[in-house]
Amino acid sequence: MPAATSPLNKSGEPTTWNFKLLAQNDLGGFGGMGEGMAVQIAKDGRRIIWLAHESAPKNFTGVDVSDPRKPKVVVQTDLPQTFMRSNSLEMTGDILAVAYQTQKAGQQPAGLELFDVSVPEKPRSISFFDCSGATSRGVHQLWFCDGEYVHMASGAPDFKPSHPLDDQFYRCIDVRNPSKPVEAGRWWMPGTKAGETPLPRHKLDKGYRAHNTNVYKQRPNRMYLCYIDGGMFVMDISDKSKPKPISHWTNSPPYTGFMHTAVPLFDRGLLIVTDESTENSAKDWPKLVWVVDMRDETHLVSISTCPMPPVDAYANRGGRFGAHNIHENPPVPTAWQSDQIVLGTFFNGGLRAYDISNAYQPKEVAAFVPPPPKGTPAGAVQLNDVFVDEREIVYTVDRHTGGLYVLEMDF
Amino acid sequence: MNELFPSPAAGLFGRRLKRARAHRVPVTVITGFLGAGKTTLLRRFLATPDGRGTAVVVNEFGATGIDDALIRESADETVLLGNGCLCCITRSDLQQALRRMVVERERGELPDFRRIVIETSGLADPSPILQTFATDRALGEIFHIEVVVTVVDAETGADTLAWSSEARKQVILADRLVVTKTDIAGEGAASALTAQLRTLNASAEILLAVNGELDPTRLTQAASDQRNTFMAETEHSDGIGSFVLNETSPMPWTVFARAMETLMALRGPDLLRVKGFLDVAGCKGPVVVQFVQHLAHPPVELESWPDGNRQSRVVFITRDMTEKQVRDLFAAVRALI
Repeated sequence: MPAATSPLNKSGEPTTWNFKLLAQNDLGGFGGMGEGMAVQIAKDGRRIIWLAHESAPKNFTGVDVSDPRKPKVVVQTDLPQTFMRSNSLEMTGDILAVAYQTQKAGQQPAGLELFDVSVPEKPRSISFFDCSGATSRGVHQLWFCDGEYVHMASGAPDFKPSHPLDDQFYRCIDVRNPSKPVEAGRWWMPGTKAGETPLPRHKLDKGYRAHNTNVYKQRPNRMYLCYIDGGMFVMDISDKSKPKPISHWTNSPPYTGFMHTAVPLFDRGLLIVTDESTENSAKDWPKLVWVVDMRDETHLVSISTCPMPPVDAYANRGGRFGAHNIHENPPVPTAWQSDQIVLGTFFNGGLRAYDISNAYQPKEVAAFVPPPPKGTPAGAVQLNDVFVDEREIVYTVDRHTGGLYVLEMDF
Repeated sequence: MNELFPSPAAGLFGRRLKRARAHRVPVTVITGFLGAGKTTLLRRFLATPDGRGTAVVVNEFGATGIDDALIRESADETVLLGNGCLCCITRSDLQQALRRMVVERERGELPDFRRIVIETSGLADPSPILQTFATDRALGEIFHIEVVVTVVDAETGADTLAWSSEARKQVILADRLVVTKTDIAGEGAASALTAQLRTLNASAEILLAVNGELDPTRLTQAASDQRNTFMAETEHSDGIGSFVLNETSPMPWTVFARAMETLMALRGPDLLRVKGFLDVAGCKGPVVVQFVQHLAHPPVELESWPDGNRQSRVVFITRDMTEKQVRDLFAAVRALI
């Protein structure tokens, strides 16, 4: 059979397979979104999704998604400085925690801010926890699901890294009194503090820094900590003042680093780990979603990866192509929980869903690759993060201009 | 291997699904005798938004040529049809053609088709096509027969059904029947044919197409599994009969599985099609079961009963086998387990 020319793959025509697009909202022209997504049921019953922005000028946006077919922006806030970004947020109840990072070490403000969003239109600052310092860029990512502690990837004024790229480490902040956050504990990968034996640099050298810091109520004494070029750690946080590593797993080298998120599936003894693609045109390919056997948490074994579409078909569509965020089963009432389906964003590879019922053979069951959003500098969509609410409505965001896409799973 | 990582959220048959086909590519099989109007129906469908992304597979089985301009000469050729559709004419093996299409789609050499329509040659008995998806594990994992549509010409259909056992089988195995050329044949002929079709296939939806016009979703949506549970047992001149096995209480899976194994072992060739919902003891949703002769599709559990009616209803289309024989077998197996 002679191969026919494929107009779909060459032009990057959109794909919607086993998802139904309900709505898209470019968020008032500020549709460049980061990797923080959380859903609140407001006191008046409205369902608000809070979204972090990829970069300035916007801080965060609240969108009423009570009717998922008609998302409405209810509030959009500004950052005080253009060199800041608030790429990450999480919430418990009506308290929203927002991470502030700066472009360069030493800039201010950098840290963690807590907001009361009980009136979604009027976010009210409760407190600011300063993380700026001569060698700190502040907070890149945070986790806040129990209302008591913020687990975050942050620099600190009293921490001097052995390499400028290694400035963010794990910090646990006690916010039981939200107006007075205090540090409860910290941990850094040995070798990242000035004076310690430095770690070997990776080829792309993205740094040995903390990234995701996931903690679940099913096992509150454990944290699943990704450390970019340092792989990932299962951490014992039963004593929050003295976090201790239990095990370590890495794929790089020979892979190209930037381990991003680790989501435990406790009942199944599995861990889903993602890389982040950071280079355009798939120059860091393959960046994958890994399935790891965690039946014995002290011996982690990679057993499969989620199959990616052909790199040749996507590499030159524009921007990045590869894994990034997945739905993390955050332990909150407004989040969908699944240990059989993994939903992930793959930049120009769109949103993809995998059935991991057979952990050895994940299979793709749905994909959503929308057209390049209007005005995007990337030339293609760059889906950056995904969140699924307890109604099984899927929210995904574009990194540059596309804003929010709301979908239904249909598989 | 997967028993190492069981999910408490899974059911007896793995992940509970929203629908039987789950993620798989839906397949519509269009059968019907020569000149019945299959190609006209298909062309109209491809021109609608619902037809977008369809891959048409014309399965000639070495039979006489297909009578439409859709089709090109030469064997096993894939032609882009526009609207994101493509057409693959296979004169060799359906399995090979489908596998090739999957590989070429993966490589980005074929459009990202999201539906397959298989148009059979007029003379074809659809059973081998249904079997193809049950025998080939790789195909069964990728494709799912969503609906079998049989097209019958109102003008000549009655005569054809009288002399052709293949035509009768096409009608008997259909999930949906489309009567064409009603404008030419007249109302009386159309209603007489409809009555005749109803005697052959009591459970299929019967639709009339005027000038090839049909709601496009009738070619894409699964037939309702709301089979008439009071459907009387029917039997035809070919010894082919159909009945619905309905049970009001949950059935242990072992009973169903062992009874079906026995039936398949003893009378596999005479089980033309068995399909339906089963209320399995311990399962939350209905278990979708499907058999073609001696082949069983893997059972899947749905998240919920689509119509809220929690009752087993499995349609049997059999040859020289009575409802009583099957019921007696189930009763005997149940008594022994």
